[in-house]
Amino acid sequence: MAEKGKMSNEHLGGVARLREEQEKVVKDCESRIQHWKKVSGDYEALNDRLKTLPDQLSYDITVPFGPLAFMPGKLVHTNEVTALLGDNWFAKCSTKQAQKIVDHRMKYVKSEMDDLSKTMKNFEARVGLTKDLENISSGKGDYIDIREDSRNIEAAVTKGRKRIAHIPNSKPKLDAILDLKEEEEIKVEGGDTERRIGTITEEELWARLDELEKLEQQQDDQDRLSDNADMNGDMNGEESSSSEEEKEADAAPPVNGQSVKPSWTSAPHSKKPPCKDSIAEEDDEEEEGHGLPTILFSHTMEPKKVRINTGKNTMLKFSERKEQHSKKKKKNCLNNGHHELHKITTPVDIYRLFVDVKNGEPIPRKSILKSRSRENSVCSDTSESSAADFDERRMIGRSFSHDDTTHSDTSDGLTEEDSPTAVPLHPASRFEAFSGTVVEKDPMPTAVPHLTLAPPALPTIMERKQEEVASEVAPPQEAPKRVSKFKAARLQQK
Amino acid sequence: MAEAIQKKLKVEVEKYTQMQKDVSKSVSARQKLETQLAENNIVKEELDLLDTKNTVYKLIGPVLVKQDLDEAKATVTKRLEYINGEIQRYETLLKDLEKKSDQHRELLSGLQQEFQKAQGMAVGKV
Repeated sequence: MAEKGKMSNEHLGGVARLREEQEKVVKDCESRIQHWKKVSGDYEALNDRLKTLPDQLSYDITVPFGPLAFMPGKLVHTNEVTALLGDNWFAKCSTKQAQKIVDHRMKYVKSEMDDLSKTMKNFEARVGLTKDLENISSGKGDYIDIREDSRNIEAAVTKGRKRIAHIPNSKPKLDAILDLKEEEEIKVEGGDTERRIGTITEEELWARLDELEKLEQQQDDQDRLSDNADMNGDMNGEESSSSEEEKEADAAPPVNGQSVKPSWTSAPHSKKPPCKDSIAEEDDEEEEGHGLPTILFSHTMEPKKVRINTGKNTMLKFSERKEQHSKKKKKNCLNNGHHELHKITTPVDIYRLFVDVKNGEPIPRKSILKSRSRENSVCSDTSESSAADFDERRMIGRSFSHDDTTHSDTSDGLTEEDSPTAVPLHPASRFEAFSGTVVEKDPMPTAVPHLTLAPPALPTIMERKQEEVASEVAPPQEAPKRVSKFKAARLQQK
Repeated sequence: MAEAIQKKLKVEVEKYTQMQKDVSKSVSARQKLETQLAENNIVKEELDLLDTKNTVYKLIGPVLVKQDLDEAKATVTKRLEYINGEIQRYETLLKDLEKKSDQHRELLSGLQQEFQKAQGMAVGKV
């Protein structure tokens, strides 16, 4: 308040001074106007005189002779007048001309007077304002100065702007994180969440989580029930249980060889069941579909894949043995999962969709960034997968011998044979982790049961097989490596 | 110390006052010129209005001297130009003087502060 008082005092002083100055100006203007008025009056009189002067030829006048004396005299040449033009210049002219000069001067005077009166009015208004200001600042009069503290206003504004969060800020973020984590876990387990990532509100996320949990439980139960059946159904490398790459990494070494490649191939099928959600697996083979992460795989006695150089971007991998199986098995899967295949919710789906259908199997395309040369070149594989394929090729030779037998049999039988052996291997998530095709580097144990089970129709081949297995592993591998699909088909037909 | 400063201050103050006077002089001169300018303009107008028959006199001291109309007109125009030139000269002069005066003012204020400090110190010492 003291400050305010101070301010007001200063203010008052300033205002008073301002008022005084303004009043001075006003006075000055008034005086000037007065002056000009006088002048104009004089000119008026002069004008009159000039008008009347030429009426007579001469006038009898009393001429002032100094300050105290006068003399009688006459005024002649009444029309001749010497007029002062200004700046010590004179001009002799008639009265009429003089009148004109006078008129001019009158105009000038009038203009000056007008200007002065304008300024005076302005200053009078200013004076009035300052007077009012003085009254306001001093507190007199009816005017009250309304002042507000700036601080309060700011506080009010900020208060108003503050938003009350109905849902605390931290929560949604956490939820999102949790959801993602859960989704990842579910993904690892082969859940369905991977598709559902997107712009989901917090509540939706919670609901989704609940859903998924339920699903998982259901799937777990189903898995346990149909575990064996699924294992039986799992034969083809292509259609083995879906394998997440994470799971693949965890899978046993023999699986690794296949894991990389088969992940793509089995991806479509592996992903299918997850998309199905709660839809019961119609196909036993189509493994995944159920919640528990179990890897269903089948030992592939025969080379699952034969690398055929069919072009730049097409990776043709197929197993002669499995062809028919896959055709058979895949049919249902395809029929069932086709609509799911088309449904893209994650990048993985894209890979699933864009597959090259060769020999009735949808073979997923490999990334164009990855070099195909290795794939296509039969001999120059250095990767694990190539090693695995190497083994596969090894098996191919054997498989051909079996082909007749095995293909003559229903694929089921083989799968049944395979599945039990394969069962002990990682029961991981059936959805993604593992394609289901186990490439065994050591063909011996698996070869034996095949040999035993194979009908004795081709004993010679069996013997040969044993020889191959026993001794020359390398040379016979070369031969099966380069088998084209047509030849393979022919062999099968044999 | 304080006395020296005081002397200095006095000198500076005198200089400053002198400068201020110069400024005021030039200002007044300029004002005169402006009035003359206005007058001469009027005279010019009047002369244009006059006929040749009207004799024009010029007042030189107590004597009215006859002048030719044309001559008068020429004289007046010349005078006008001269006045304009004078006005401009005075304007520049005025600006310079004002600058100088400002500088001097600052100097003065600095000296004054020193003087006050010295005085304060002197008081403290005492």
